[in-house]
Amino acid sequence: MMSEKQISTNLESKYDLIVGLEIHVQTNTSSKMFCSCPTGYFQEEPNTHVCPVCLGLPGALPVPNKRAIELCILMGLALNCDIDKEIHFDRKHYFYPDLPKGYQISQYKRPICSDGYVETTSGVKIDIERIHQEEDVAKSTHHVENSTGKQYSLIDYNKSGVPLIEIVTRPCIRTAKDAKDFATEIRKIARYLGISDADMEKGQMRCEPNISLQEKGKWEYRDGQILPVGDYKLNPKVEVKNIGSITAVEKSIQYEVERLTKELEEGKEIEQQTRGWNADKNITEYQRTKETADDYRYMPEPDIPVVEISDEDVDRISEELVEIPVERMKRYIGELELSEYAAEVISSSRESSEYFESLYKRLRQDLNEKDSALEASNWLMGPVFAMGNLDIEINDLALLILAFKEGDITKNKAEELLNQSVKEDKNLAEELERVIQQKEELTNNLDDIVKEVIQKNTKAVEDYKGGKQATLGFLVGQVMQATKGAADPNEVRDILIKELK
Amino acid sequence: MKIDIKHIAKLSRLSLTQKEEEKFTPQMETILESASVLQEVDTSKVQPMKARIPFDNLREDTPKKSLEQDDVLKNAPHSEDGHIKVYGEIFGGIEES
Repeated sequence: MMSEKQISTNLESKYDLIVGLEIHVQTNTSSKMFCSCPTGYFQEEPNTHVCPVCLGLPGALPVPNKRAIELCILMGLALNCDIDKEIHFDRKHYFYPDLPKGYQISQYKRPICSDGYVETTSGVKIDIERIHQEEDVAKSTHHVENSTGKQYSLIDYNKSGVPLIEIVTRPCIRTAKDAKDFATEIRKIARYLGISDADMEKGQMRCEPNISLQEKGKWEYRDGQILPVGDYKLNPKVEVKNIGSITAVEKSIQYEVERLTKELEEGKEIEQQTRGWNADKNITEYQRTKETADDYRYMPEPDIPVVEISDEDVDRISEELVEIPVERMKRYIGELELSEYAAEVISSSRESSEYFESLYKRLRQDLNEKDSALEASNWLMGPVFAMGNLDIEINDLALLILAFKEGDITKNKAEELLNQSVKEDKNLAEELERVIQQKEELTNNLDDIVKEVIQKNTKAVEDYKGGKQATLGFLVGQVMQATKGAADPNEVRDILIKELK
Repeated sequence: MKIDIKHIAKLSRLSLTQKEEEKFTPQMETILESASVLQEVDTSKVQPMKARIPFDNLREDTPKKSLEQDDVLKNAPHSEDGHIKVYGEIFGGIEES
């Protein structure tokens, strides 16, 4: 007989999960996409970063921001996309108070970047359909008037017109974890290349998964599309919005898998719809039936000329490219033999990976390849990350690590020294030299100190000689105290045993 | 040419009365018919006429001064705490983009 658990697993396995992800990223420019208003709106007074263009006043004309388009192309290059030779903008119409013109300037048939791919850290290849340039909308909050009971919205147009790129994957994602990994990778790349801070809590990056379940064996992924096999009718997809964190990408998809499985099992017709993620309840909630592309009444934007991009333009932009995090991670594993975990953590930010590589390079002058990589990663992921400080002089830290490797200083002492010099803003190299010198003096005097301790503690010495082994610990403690902790306790122990024979 | 007046009204967030629907439908169909003359022109051999500019001529990313908040709010029939205030229930908490 099958247990209940087995039955439910069997039900789930009847379907395959199909996910495509849309990721919006606000790009890091000083001025807006189509006007010169400043972008940094976070915690600013409402409606102070606006002008006739981003307010959609009649007669105002949009002028595209060169840097914004460069950043869009840069993301395209990082994700191995084809870059179009011409930029065409289109109007996407819908009526909503956060969109003052009644349309959003976006791109429809010809996105700047198309047909790319990127690998996640677990080695899954994600196909990119397109990356296009558009503009952000205003921020609105919704309220009810106390005196009249009327509903109203308060609108702040500071965010209206901030450059936004939309990255769209093919429906090629098969698990919630792959979706999360992909979003993580996009965030890392955006930060590496200075394209965006990509802080999801601040709304600088927004993820919208398109989710559907299809019966196993009844669909195929061909030419970047999901196609039905035979006379199978594909189930419609659900779009989830309002996702405020990377973990919510994974959780919302997992939730939808359960919900949709249940609906399908109950024989319900699934409606194409938009749902909102509720982070407090960990559920998605119905928002509305999705508008179709026709409803947006796309048309070419007549106010912006076609922008011509030359190969030289693309070459110049590509100079800003660096090795993307997942490639860096693979190199750390393959060439430097770091563990997968260490390689992923270190490569996750450009700052930490650059620090690691400088430290590695410096250690290589004195250590072999493997030890250099291992020590650099251990010290970075341990004490340096714990202090959250990447300002420590690479050469000083290297000297400290080398002193530890030489046995001139214990690991504990080294870490203590590192902590102290950062906390008290002291020069690490000088501190290290001082400690090593002290230790040398001490080693020369250690025999004398041991003898002195033995003379002063006649009772303990007698107890030890009488067979009370535990007293040795007390005597070691006394010596350590006399040396202010600078001596190596094991060494002290050996000397004591020798002296007390 | 047929017009789905209900659908168009919905996209524009307008609520029309039955009477208005009956009045506007033939009006809009007439407009579309007049414009449809354009569809008869053979454009298969015509290049779209659109101005072109090189990438380098785009606007440099230098911020300039925006309008004063007071001036921004002058055009708004209602405002509150520096925000533009809009009445209506249709806006039920969905953010587009």
